[in-house]
Amino acid sequence: MFSAPDSYPIDLPTFHSEINLPYTLTPGRAAGIFLAEVKNRRIVASRFASGQVVAPAQDFSSTNGEEPEAFVEAPQTGVLTAFTRVDGHVIGFIRLDGCDNDFAHRILAELDDIAIGQRVEAEWDDSVEQSVLAIKGFRIAPDAPVGTVKPLETMEEPLGVIPYAMKLDYEHAYGPYYGRMFDEIRENGRFMGVRSPGSDIALLPPREIDDVTHGRTGTWKACADTGTIRGCSIINMEVYGQTRKVPYVYAEIVLDGASTRMIHVIEIDSLEEAKERIKPGTRVRAVWTQGERQGRVSDIERFEVIEG
Amino acid sequence: MALSKVGVVATAQTEFRPAWNNAQHIDLISSVVTSVFKGSGLTIDDVDFIIDSGSDVLDGRSISNCGFLGALGAHHKEEARVEEDGLWAALYGVNKIRAGSSSVGLIVAYSKPSESNVDLYWNAQVEPFYQRPVGFGQRAANGIMAQRYLADSGLSSRDLADLVADRWAAAAASGKVSIDALPDADAVLAAKEGAAPLTELMFARPVDGAVAVLIAREDIARRVSRNPAFITGMGTSMDTHSVAAREAGRLSSAATAAAMAYRNAGWTSADADIAEISGSSVIGELLAIEALGLAAAGKGLSATRDGKVAINRSGGALPADPIMATGLVRLAEASRQLSQPETSSGGAPSRAIVHGAGGVGMQNNCVFTLEV
Amino acid sequence: MGRHVGIVGVGQTHHARRRTDVSQAGLVREAVDRALADAKLSMEDIDTVVVATGPVLFAAVNQPEKWVVDAIGAQGKSVVRLTSGGGAGFAGALAGYYQVAGGFSERTLVVAYDKLSEGQLQYSISTLYDPFWGREFAVGIMGFSAAYWRARMDVLGHTEEAAAMVAAKNRKNAIANPYAHVKKEVSVEDVLNSKPLCWPIKLLDVPPISDGAAAIVLSSEKMAHHSTSRPAWIRGMAYCCEADNAPERSLMLSEPLAIASRQVYRAAGITNPRRQFDVVEVQEPYSCFELNYYESLGLCPPGQAADLIASGATQLDGDIPVNPSGGCMGANPIGAVGVIRLIEAATQVMGRNETHQIKDAKTALVQSGGGWANLRGCAVLSA
Repeated sequence: MFSAPDSYPIDLPTFHSEINLPYTLTPGRAAGIFLAEVKNRRIVASRFASGQVVAPAQDFSSTNGEEPEAFVEAPQTGVLTAFTRVDGHVIGFIRLDGCDNDFAHRILAELDDIAIGQRVEAEWDDSVEQSVLAIKGFRIAPDAPVGTVKPLETMEEPLGVIPYAMKLDYEHAYGPYYGRMFDEIRENGRFMGVRSPGSDIALLPPREIDDVTHGRTGTWKACADTGTIRGCSIINMEVYGQTRKVPYVYAEIVLDGASTRMIHVIEIDSLEEAKERIKPGTRVRAVWTQGERQGRVSDIERFEVIEG
Repeated sequence: MALSKVGVVATAQTEFRPAWNNAQHIDLISSVVTSVFKGSGLTIDDVDFIIDSGSDVLDGRSISNCGFLGALGAHHKEEARVEEDGLWAALYGVNKIRAGSSSVGLIVAYSKPSESNVDLYWNAQVEPFYQRPVGFGQRAANGIMAQRYLADSGLSSRDLADLVADRWAAAAASGKVSIDALPDADAVLAAKEGAAPLTELMFARPVDGAVAVLIAREDIARRVSRNPAFITGMGTSMDTHSVAAREAGRLSSAATAAAMAYRNAGWTSADADIAEISGSSVIGELLAIEALGLAAAGKGLSATRDGKVAINRSGGALPADPIMATGLVRLAEASRQLSQPETSSGGAPSRAIVHGAGGVGMQNNCVFTLEV
Repeated sequence: MGRHVGIVGVGQTHHARRRTDVSQAGLVREAVDRALADAKLSMEDIDTVVVATGPVLFAAVNQPEKWVVDAIGAQGKSVVRLTSGGGAGFAGALAGYYQVAGGFSERTLVVAYDKLSEGQLQYSISTLYDPFWGREFAVGIMGFSAAYWRARMDVLGHTEEAAAMVAAKNRKNAIANPYAHVKKEVSVEDVLNSKPLCWPIKLLDVPPISDGAAAIVLSSEKMAHHSTSRPAWIRGMAYCCEADNAPERSLMLSEPLAIASRQVYRAAGITNPRRQFDVVEVQEPYSCFELNYYESLGLCPPGQAADLIASGATQLDGDIPVNPSGGCMGANPIGAVGVIRLIEAATQVMGRNETHQIKDAKTALVQSGGGWANLRGCAVLSA
């Protein structure tokens, strides 16, 4: 038999999570010049000591890592050497005239109308800058004259930075243990863990296998919504993606009845006051959000110190 | 220098499903880590180290191994994350045992592509300035490889579809892969376009699942396992990033990896009884078969039929591609076919070739030889 | 038994806050060129390559070794990437060590890098957290690190003053380091008075954000003489972990580091680390961590790290200098740091550290790690 998780989950939809990050990428000299030069409608290529010309320009040879001896201007015409179609876009390899490599780019034609060996020429898109997509693609041009590689006497400064964004979406499965835990949070407003093997103390979040012994965990147990701080820090800086106003306390809290930590926040009036009042060992209680619970950790709005 | 022997003591894998909707990564991982010991007489306490493979981008977490250490059984042990197919994790593990500092290692690979966008996972692998913006990624690479392969070999799309259908049938027969409706060749041809001339069903199907492989020093392997398969050769090679700059019609890095593994093993493809091969598409599988020396260029399809070497009895990667785990599954499948020949029809094979791949257009390749 | 493995060539970039003249791949090339030249080798002499970086989200390229391979001319070779958060470089070096020790390779190039200027550092580290459980409250790794320090502060006496002494020491040492980019002497008072970011962590407890790469060539004993007459031999090396949210996780001594050091010291014949090591290089992503390492590595008993730093023993002229290079305070290209620390220790025992050679250094200790302080390793190098 093959392995499979033994317990069965409460039927829950997936948990949506998003990672959405801005970047500032440095293309390096070759790609930096190429991307700067598209506004002049020039295709910059690299020429290596062997005489090989590679377009678009590369800082390092794809064959052996060698660095080019010069940047040159490649012609805007060439021959189609391979093609496919993905999501309706035809993508092909183009061998520009006088070049020794294939340039992967879009082909502006229907798949049925193209064939290996056809002449093509670049079509520019004036609305695009600082991107390889300033070349909209290559169109079929049977009569395009054969171009030649030319020296590049003057060239733009390489772009140092181009903005980029990456957005990743996830639909995470809850699984049997998180499924029940979040269901309990939503339905009953309580934190349920599972007992460590041979112990009455709960692991929270719950899991099938104990981390330390790798033995099977025990029965379910409700933990309190009060607990003790194990570690904490006072957040006083703003970072990308933050949802709370600084200063506040980031706390690793062990709920009563559990042996593992949960992460949450405690609101404070001032940093100096919080240093004294909130520390490892400080007792805290959950403050639940008003209104309907969603079955998430954020159903607890924050923790607050139990005075006295 | 001949490799000193490291044996595969036991393997475990989950069922491979299009989506394990009712399990988290840790559920799949702890499930295989628990079951791999069954019948071996060993326990997690006997394991010196864990090497694991998975992808932060697929998992939606940075340093995702860090959150899965408990499930991996790694607590207070040596652990390493190889962010490449699990066959490379096994390579690391074998080196570690051969270096003499450890005797038992656990190799784990897992995947839940159902939770993320697989196209993005691949497209994020190509450099971001030239190729990524034009949409050149895994599908385009395979489409171009296929267009060239069909032109050079004279094969038809129907030929490809026949092979795909065979692979799905083999996977269905194995019982280890969840398949709702078994596609025949017509269904393969009629599927939506993946990357012309390939249909979606001609690509490896991403599936969720996990696999664990327990490896050990020779004396321990012989003691705890009735008929362990030994890893006698390993080779790996990475091709250039630029698909356009690679040798057309040949997976040269797979050939380099295979030559290295065969040199270690002291035998070659003609001497193998079985082969378990990864392919990112049906063309990838054919190119891999050829690169491993199992067929001449353009003749990979006939090697899947002539029965000299039984290729992908498990069905291979086409019906079930748990990305980052696929090559390690091949190792597990091959070692079971060698160690427990009674569980699969096909006599008593003694030598196996195992192949794993990573990257767009199978840029990176790894080959193991196994023997009983 | 395994074969002896030595570091026979080293190279690192001149680290910077932001390099807009090279791509990620070009940055890697610089370090590789330097390491190969140092080892008197070319890429043709290298059997296998290990690439190590921090998390993919730092720089928006998934499995970046597949891009980097072209920039370093390693096409056709065995190339694999290891990742382990902050400890990636060290974990990569360990994988390379086993490639040579296990006979898979005679010479292995390990290159590690991060180009942190390109992404949103703390936010991308926040994705370390479980998306269901805690990510929404994560503040990169700084929130955790400060909480981890706070847990030890009262119990082990890891005071703000003690950590400030670490920051002042390392920042001062970095001034002489040609590869560092933060070179400004600060006083203990300056550190204590700097802006609280995640208190108790303050601005000057925090290393810079850096672009940088570092590479080493590992060689078998048989081939080492081609490169140097005095390799830095790896006498022991291990990298261990603990489950982050295991029951009752100790936030005091680092258990994985204690386990790794026990293993490494046994292999290297170290019974009295304080006396046997001539120099120590540690990865201190925040000043407070160095105190934790003193105790977990056995340089002093638990609870005495503050006394150790105060005694001056770990200063450049002390009996056990820690981070004569300036550590992370001079430059912190996260994924590369494990290799940078190995380079600094290796050049010490090879007797050719450019600017801060410890006299007669023969045996060096290196520490590195990552994750939620739950991935920890160390190595012993000697000539």
